[in-house]
Amino acid sequence: MRNRIDRRTLLRGLLGGAAVGLALPTFEIFLDAHGEAMAGGSAFPSRFGLWFWGNGIGPDPTQWVPTGTGANYTLSPILAPLAPVQGDITVVSGLQVNTPNTMPHGTGPAGILTGARVGPNGTNGVTLDQLIANQIGGTTQNHSLELSVDPVTTTPSYSQAGQSNPPETSPAALFNTLFGPTFRLPGSNVPPDPKLGLRRSVLDAVGADAKALRVRLGSADQQRLDQHLASVRDLEQQIANLQAAPPVLAACSMPPAPAAAYPDVGGLPQLSAISRAMSDILVLSLACDQQRVFTFQFSHPVNNLLYANTTEGHHQLTHDELGAQPMVQSILHTILGEATYFIQALKKVQEGNATLLDHCGVLFMTDVSDGKSHAVNEYPLFLAGSANGALQTGIHYRDLGENASKLGLTLLQAFGVAATSFGSDEGLVTQGLPALVGNT
Amino acid sequence: MSDARSSSRLRAPLALGATLLLAACSGLIGDRAADDAPVTLDPAPSTLHRLTQAQYTNALQDLLGSAVVVPTALEPDLEVDGFYTVGGSVGSVSARGVGQYETAAFQVAGQALAAGPARDALVGCTPAGDADAACAGSFLATFGRRAWRRPLAADELARVTAVATGAGTTLNDFYQGLAFGIAALLESPNFLYRVELGTPVPGQHGVFRYQGYELASRLAFFLWNTTPDDALLDAAGQGQLDGDDGLAAQVDRLLASPRAHAALQNFFSERFLLDQLAGLSKDTTVFPAMSADFGSSAREETLLLVDQLLMVENADYRDLFTTDRTFVDRKMASLYGVAAPSLTSFGEVTLPAGGMRRGVLGHAGLLALYAHPTSTSPTLRGKFVREVLLCATVPSPPANVNTALPQATTAGPTLRDRLLAHESVPFCAACHRAMDPIGLGLENFDGLGQFRLLDNGAHIDATGSLDGAAFANPVQLGADVAAHPDLGPCLVRQMVRYAQAAPEIPGEDAEIARLASDFADMGNSVPYLLRAVALSPAFRTATESP
Repeated sequence: MRNRIDRRTLLRGLLGGAAVGLALPTFEIFLDAHGEAMAGGSAFPSRFGLWFWGNGIGPDPTQWVPTGTGANYTLSPILAPLAPVQGDITVVSGLQVNTPNTMPHGTGPAGILTGARVGPNGTNGVTLDQLIANQIGGTTQNHSLELSVDPVTTTPSYSQAGQSNPPETSPAALFNTLFGPTFRLPGSNVPPDPKLGLRRSVLDAVGADAKALRVRLGSADQQRLDQHLASVRDLEQQIANLQAAPPVLAACSMPPAPAAAYPDVGGLPQLSAISRAMSDILVLSLACDQQRVFTFQFSHPVNNLLYANTTEGHHQLTHDELGAQPMVQSILHTILGEATYFIQALKKVQEGNATLLDHCGVLFMTDVSDGKSHAVNEYPLFLAGSANGALQTGIHYRDLGENASKLGLTLLQAFGVAATSFGSDEGLVTQGLPALVGNT
Repeated sequence: MSDARSSSRLRAPLALGATLLLAACSGLIGDRAADDAPVTLDPAPSTLHRLTQAQYTNALQDLLGSAVVVPTALEPDLEVDGFYTVGGSVGSVSARGVGQYETAAFQVAGQALAAGPARDALVGCTPAGDADAACAGSFLATFGRRAWRRPLAADELARVTAVATGAGTTLNDFYQGLAFGIAALLESPNFLYRVELGTPVPGQHGVFRYQGYELASRLAFFLWNTTPDDALLDAAGQGQLDGDDGLAAQVDRLLASPRAHAALQNFFSERFLLDQLAGLSKDTTVFPAMSADFGSSAREETLLLVDQLLMVENADYRDLFTTDRTFVDRKMASLYGVAAPSLTSFGEVTLPAGGMRRGVLGHAGLLALYAHPTSTSPTLRGKFVREVLLCATVPSPPANVNTALPQATTAGPTLRDRLLAHESVPFCAACHRAMDPIGLGLENFDGLGQFRLLDNGAHIDATGSLDGAAFANPVQLGADVAAHPDLGPCLVRQMVRYAQAAPEIPGEDAEIARLASDFADMGNSVPYLLRAVALSPAFRTATESP
């Protein structure tokens, strides 16, 4: 089912009643007219997500690490909000980033998501989510989707060294992009807008311009232009998908429109309201198969966001608050509460005999373990969803001191990337974590 | 790293071990040697420059009319070496950004092509049909020359004209079709990137010179922060920019325009990171005066003073740090405790005699920006003076250091008391000595820039020192900054950086030193500096790009 065949072409063939004699991927073949999976299991695509928050989990790892391992474990105080979904998550504790900790808040994301040393301008390579998107994101409307509740211009997702993929930060704009005028519900017979084809003619001209320009450039600028053209091709793919018949997916529906804006209330940003609005939109967008890879950033590294009942911004508190940092802990309670909301929203969507969550594998992570010391050992990580059975759920896996890159390799392989190693230098690994691999 | 050249303000801190950190902080600060070497130039390689958000917006308004509303959701600017213009020389455009540029192109085209006399004047011909290639082609040739900052080649024009007429046919509407032609020009790398590659200089291997249209583009984006106008393109086409006199004439023309004022304001906005005032996070329970319009008002104050002193009056750059004049609207007037000169807009005021607020170091915008959401930060304020105003480098703290300050106590209630912790640890003191004693001089201004006498109930001691010279209060700090030998040379260095829109290279050092010396001789005149940089060999020469 991990393929680059144009699914829309296949679906069109099926809908037209044509007998398609190719060795088609399971997903397309076994869908019935209602978009439900036939008996036989995981006919729905796997989706990968990265759910990120900034500033770590505080000075005391015991507040994070669950007691007991395997299936019989007890959630820790920080993870307590996840109790309703405990059976759907896997807590991974004890791993550490082995690359030199040269950049506070930068070493961790680079280490987890590229397995490599952090560069002078941030993460210095292509991140895990984009590697997976290159594998599974090719046929959907969007190659990947980056969102941020925290209104910033960067995310931990990098398609190229040193330049982060910028997020959408407005729920209204997100809604308009995914469910605005160009959106067609499954089964709708409205012919595609003729302007879609004309937009592609514009991109063809842009491609011809770029080709003529490219030969005049030095190699460094050629690489920049090539990256730009890869982005243009993503847009072409997006338009091509809008021209094709919408995928027949029973779970696909329009989310309610979010508020036009979410102004601060009492000087505090409405983080929870924004997060839930974005979660609702993202979840249905996944159900409509508009993309299979996403980055959901709740807050960015070093964010100084203000939360209720705290005396300083988040980052400043991680450095200034004494002892067990109760205010930092209360912020984490809010953040992981929103993570739980998102997981539950995925779980509410029925796809065939399972749920959307069962077809997802979402990595929840932050930028450091302790924000005060910028430590990157005892790295706080957990997964949600089994990615169609490729990942274990419902366990606490602990491996103290193990190279965190092994988690990255495990995830790449779970999503069908033909990788035999992940990372470089101190971060290099050639084996994953077998204990996290699912039974199917 | 033995001089102040590497004044990087990349978001990524430098990766330094403890030893190097100490060495760096004792050796870096304020010891830039006098440059008496003969002027030589080893120019930077040419590179593509992606338009900054401001340049993109300005260019579209110049191309399609100032009334055009340009979407603000665009590929984010990347700050490198302290400037978005420099960031435009690295990196590319994300998938999301390509989509945003597409959306923006159709939005502005739709506005400009709304039926009416403005459209007819813009298009310049009356279409004979939905697919009138002659009319579409004549408009796209004229528009394309402005947008791409050079005439289009015949095949390029044919390509975009075919897009327009094809769309006109499909949509049965000439103007709707033309919008697709405009989009093809605006989504092209030839618009989104300044393509300035240089022309080989005969007899000088590997040396390239910016000439003609490429030089017009460089001049316009440096001095106007927007695309060249027709007069500049005409001059370029006639070869006038390739001679010193013709170039000087155009530089003087550009500098005489109001756009040069806006462009210098953009330089200072980038340099001081004033755009970040828009997203300022302040706790309103600590700062009840904080409001949604604070950031824009505070930014405007600084930009108005910069323009009035430096461009309108051609005053000495150093006055920016000592002046008792500023510009306030009602918001800023109430924050400063002065009478608002206007109920509806900004007006100039003279700050009260004997007051502590002088120059831009007393501007609420900078004071609030270089502070925390609930408190001041002498460290951040000192770092701003040290790095942005004086071009020294202060490394970031290493990753595994505990940067927590001790809590306030009855014996030591103030932030000054708590910051003494830095002084007690030699490892910390090495760098913090370069920042904290400066920032402590601004402690009379709280985290929103409001004057105060008390911190945590205790009287504020606003004494401090800059490179060993003690000062008693913020007014004296401003005077000491103004008198600092690195202040003028630092501005010159940054102006060259901004003009080149590419990371600094050692080969420009001698040229920068020459410009700095001239700048000082010319009474620290910023219009003089802009002109001198535009005419300098560094601005007009490149090596082959790698």
